[in-house]
Amino acid sequence: MAEDFLVATDLHKSFHDFKAVNGVSFSIAKGEIFGLLGPNGAGKTTTIRMLSTVLEADSGEIIIGGHSVRKKAESVRALIGVCPQELALYEDLSAMENLIFFGRMDGLNTRDARAQAEEYLKLMGLQDRAKGRVAKFSGGMKRRINLAIALMGNPQLVFMDEPTVGIDPQSRNRIYETIEGLQSKGMTILYTTHYMEEADRLCDRIAIMDGGKIIAMDTPRALKAQLGDSEKATLEDVFLNLTGRSLRD
Amino acid sequence: MRAIYIALNEVRLYLRDKGDLAFSLLLPIVTVALVYAAFGGETRFEGDAYVVDEDNGLYSNILIDQLEAVDGVDVELLTASEADAKLDNSDVLLVLFIPENFSEDLKSGEPTHLLFKQRGNAGDEGQIVRSIIQGVVSEINKEFTVRSQVAEIVQDRGITQDQIENNVQELLAEERARPLVGVNEEVLGGSSDFETQFLPGIVTMYVLFAVSMTARIIVEERRNGTLERLLSTRLSVGQLFLGKFLANMSRGFVQTLILLVLSYIVFQMFTPLTFLQSLVIALLFTAAVSAIGLIIASIAHSEEGASWIAVVFSVICFMFGGTFFQVAKDSAFYSISRISINTYANDAFDTILTGGGSLANVSTDLLVLVGVTVVGLMISRYLFRIVAGGK
Repeated sequence: MAEDFLVATDLHKSFHDFKAVNGVSFSIAKGEIFGLLGPNGAGKTTTIRMLSTVLEADSGEIIIGGHSVRKKAESVRALIGVCPQELALYEDLSAMENLIFFGRMDGLNTRDARAQAEEYLKLMGLQDRAKGRVAKFSGGMKRRINLAIALMGNPQLVFMDEPTVGIDPQSRNRIYETIEGLQSKGMTILYTTHYMEEADRLCDRIAIMDGGKIIAMDTPRALKAQLGDSEKATLEDVFLNLTGRSLRD
Repeated sequence: MRAIYIALNEVRLYLRDKGDLAFSLLLPIVTVALVYAAFGGETRFEGDAYVVDEDNGLYSNILIDQLEAVDGVDVELLTASEADAKLDNSDVLLVLFIPENFSEDLKSGEPTHLLFKQRGNAGDEGQIVRSIIQGVVSEINKEFTVRSQVAEIVQDRGITQDQIENNVQELLAEERARPLVGVNEEVLGGSSDFETQFLPGIVTMYVLFAVSMTARIIVEERRNGTLERLLSTRLSVGQLFLGKFLANMSRGFVQTLILLVLSYIVFQMFTPLTFLQSLVIALLFTAAVSAIGLIIASIAHSEEGASWIAVVFSVICFMFGGTFFQVAKDSAFYSISRISINTYANDAFDTILTGGGSLANVSTDLLVLVGVTVVGLMISRYLFRIVAGGK
């Protein structure tokens, strides 16, 4: 059994009277792809923001790579990369400039940042567009750049918040292959998505959140087995069974 | 080092935005051009004296030379036909005709007459030019009278006409240089020059614009999604704010530099030393304003909100800072004006430009600006941490 790289214990976060995260606990083993699923407003993004040191939890504890997020945020940031749900790019800069800039912010010198940028642009199939302005890229290309930036500095843990939303199958497939390749190199990944087949394909374990709480957590196979026949049941069946069919905001 | 890189990235983004770049660099140029067009860089009378010299002799040349020596008067020589044509077309409203034999008549002691030809009342400029010409002619008349009287007194003493002429010329030149009755000028209520009185206000107004620019930078990062990404890197909030501060201070200073350089060239309102001193004041004021902009940036959650807070702040500073008017030192308004940051920059510029002071004379004003910068940076970082939606 691999050691836990991330341990979150009894996390709480409220915005005024709204409890966004209400007693969430889970752990992620080193080298594991951990899926965090849930309907809109379930608390996934708030949880990721707390894990990535951007938002302070009201209570609870997060340990990443042996460091407390509350006490050693600087050390934690050296271990993590974040691929946010919304594109977080400078549109007036080129792909290469974006990657080098965020690489510098992660502590790389310019030469190392350039070398890593070239490596990840190639990984994402964008080496020919390195000097192109991001503003002129397609949605799929921007998504790939968004992910490549998260990999700058070679983090040990990457938070990927819906990295494939709204892109074509080719770009999505490239991202899947990249994620699987990263896992094979020992990278730990926390992954959120609304595409259940994507979670089924990529994730070793999945936690389903609703109303700020984790309502189920297991391997995809074990979750599907809860519905009876794990071969015929889909993760979407499990998801709808647990979270209901009523529409969310 | 990361702060420097943040600043360089900000500058790079600024240079890539052609519209923003053109607007911010052209604005100072347009402002100086408008001020120059409105006031023409002139604060005293300037006019043209149109002269037809039909004599072209010694004394007509003396008359023309003396006219050209008058401050603000340019002499333009015309032929008689040109002058008539211009008068007919109302291109000019007043022309001085120096008749033939003007010099000969004067030399022989015969009375002679100049002729003003004019359209209507010759206009304001024509009337002023005519007064100036009459003054010069009156001066020449007196000089001739002196020469005649001296010649009469020393006649039969074997003194040649040339000796009399030379001595009288020397004495008259001495009298012109050190007149018995001189006229001095005392200007009340500050300098009489528009640019010296108002340009410091325009400079401080410009720098205050930097508040709006700075106030929006964190909101823009938030809107782009890059703020959260930056905050999950090893970059600290302090480094982020320092980088943004350096970038906006540089941008504001470059704008101000353009304005000051143009003022130097167009209005000649600086000496090299006062120019350098003004740059120091502008730099410190830009720094203070950028720090205040960061305070607004740390609490604003939308671009509109940031812009509105910045506008209200700037208007209050304009109103209380004595930007375009002087505040009497013993008035209640003077005490109120101390809360406005541009008061200190205005005072410093005023002392340097019109008071003949040095940076040592404005050390208190400069210390206030430095203090505002330091405290502003600290407060902005603190507010960013505690305000909802911040770190």
